[in-house]
Amino acid sequence: MQQTQSTKWMTHGEAGLMLFFAMAAFVCAFAAAKALDAPFAFHASLAAVASGVASFAIMNRYLDRPASLPPEEISGKPNYNLGPIKFASFMAMFWGIAGFAVGLLIASQLAWPLLNLDLPWTSFGRLRPLHTSAVIFAFGGNVLIATSFYVVQRTCRTRLVGDLAPWFVVLGYNFFIVIAGTGYLLGVTQSKEYAEPEWYADLWLTIVWVVYLVVFVMTLVKRKEPHIFVANWFYLAFIVTIAVLHLGNNLALPVSLLGSKSYIAWAGVQDAMFQWWYGHNAVGFFLTAGFLAIMYYFIPKRAERPVYSYRLSIIHFWSLIFLYIWAGPHHLHYTALPDWTQTLGMTFSVMLWMPSWGGMINGLMTLSGAWDKLRTDPVLRMLVVSVAFYGMSTFEGPLMSIKVVNSLSHYTDWTIGHVHSGALGWVGFVSFGALYCLVPWLWGRKELYSLKLVNWHFWISTIGIVLYISAMWVSGILQGLMWRAYTSLGFLEYSFIETVEAMHPFYVIRAAGGALFLIGALIMAYNLWMTVRASEADVGTELALQAAE
Amino acid sequence: MKAILIVHNIASDLVTSVWTPIFVGLFIAIVIYALWPRNQAVFDQASRMPLRED
Repeated sequence: MQQTQSTKWMTHGEAGLMLFFAMAAFVCAFAAAKALDAPFAFHASLAAVASGVASFAIMNRYLDRPASLPPEEISGKPNYNLGPIKFASFMAMFWGIAGFAVGLLIASQLAWPLLNLDLPWTSFGRLRPLHTSAVIFAFGGNVLIATSFYVVQRTCRTRLVGDLAPWFVVLGYNFFIVIAGTGYLLGVTQSKEYAEPEWYADLWLTIVWVVYLVVFVMTLVKRKEPHIFVANWFYLAFIVTIAVLHLGNNLALPVSLLGSKSYIAWAGVQDAMFQWWYGHNAVGFFLTAGFLAIMYYFIPKRAERPVYSYRLSIIHFWSLIFLYIWAGPHHLHYTALPDWTQTLGMTFSVMLWMPSWGGMINGLMTLSGAWDKLRTDPVLRMLVVSVAFYGMSTFEGPLMSIKVVNSLSHYTDWTIGHVHSGALGWVGFVSFGALYCLVPWLWGRKELYSLKLVNWHFWISTIGIVLYISAMWVSGILQGLMWRAYTSLGFLEYSFIETVEAMHPFYVIRAAGGALFLIGALIMAYNLWMTVRASEADVGTELALQAAE
Repeated sequence: MKAILIVHNIASDLVTSVWTPIFVGLFIAIVIYALWPRNQAVFDQASRMPLRED
């Protein structure tokens, strides 16, 4: 240990945050004691404990660290901040498995309603938002935070801004997930799809998200590279737009500052329009822009080929930004929403074909000259198949936004099938591919523990997705056709319960598909765990064994 | 109430009259920038950014 001359001082951030959390612990403990409802008391207690732990953790970290903060550079090379990225990657895998498992449970509940257990906490209505939030925001969100912090550092060749700030982002975000998820189980919801968390969780997420934006932008500002790589543009669009959407759709007034219930500022059709402006752009900017950033960094890196057309990537980015924000009204076809607004939403959705396919072509063609790697590298195969699924689901989406098609598809399982071809095929696979790349890089391993297991994961999950989406297509179209069938006398041919009965076999197939997808993720978790645990020697033998086979 | 309506009308007129051409113009400018032959060299370098190692 080198003795430093300077005395050790707390940074402003350390002192400020420690005080902030110490005060927050008291405020939350007070709120818990005075709470009007039990879930709020529970959440306030959780927040009090978390704040107390955070305050102590900051103090301990200060006492343990050397007098000076980690240097920006070590012998001329950027000293990248990897700790928060490792944590977010780990949480991504954890929440992924939790989210897929709950998905399998609710799929099984639809096939066998007995599994609702007749308990409020385990009913479909409460578990469904737990599933969607766990896979989108917990799994997807942690993947996006992890990869964005990694990519922005590598492509700017500079260390992440802030000492505690990146930790605040990853820990604060995951605390939000815990509050949101436990709230659903306890019946706390503002009943807005993909925006279910109540006002206090929303306020906390706003603070975390602003810090995320500041860390990302300030890292871009101090970059050593003159050019801002296209992936960072996509990440930035994702962070900024999610901030705007979150604020717009959650303008709610709490009934009491000591209770969980709130009322939204908007009413009636305005509320519906705000909700789907939010909802569709959560798809557009969370599930698309963010993961396209992953595509633009991880596919070239893994294939060892440059981005196919950088020009196309610029046009892809800006046309996506200009068009996506208007597509929301296609969720409200044939409702009280003015007809012209529905047509506007439909038109912009159809126009989205162009940037979506432009992006897909750019991702796929990045493999030109390296197509042979698809046979030998299952990680690259996963990434490329994700882009193919992106192309498929962004072809299907505009199709379903056309009013005539929507009159058949809306409210049926076709929508569920569409969402999952995007969510499992595109978002899931591109995230798996990115994590398979990221974990060895973060922990300084040459390769993964086993590429063979990646291969197993790839095929098991792919079969799972195919089972899932084909079952939902058949089920959805069957459902839509049964709903609109008339007898020769003009009566509806089928009662609603008959259409529900007809769904049963497809619900069983869907649950089987979900089970395969979960098994794939468990194989992945084992593989990543062994990659982190294994010493270099073990990895070497595994590779040697594979070569010998 | 009347004042609110007047403000609303002015605002919506502004939106339809100003922002649409501004956004269209901005987008065309971006496309020209992306396709400008002299920028090719910068873009070629940028397309290799993920491949660079420190």
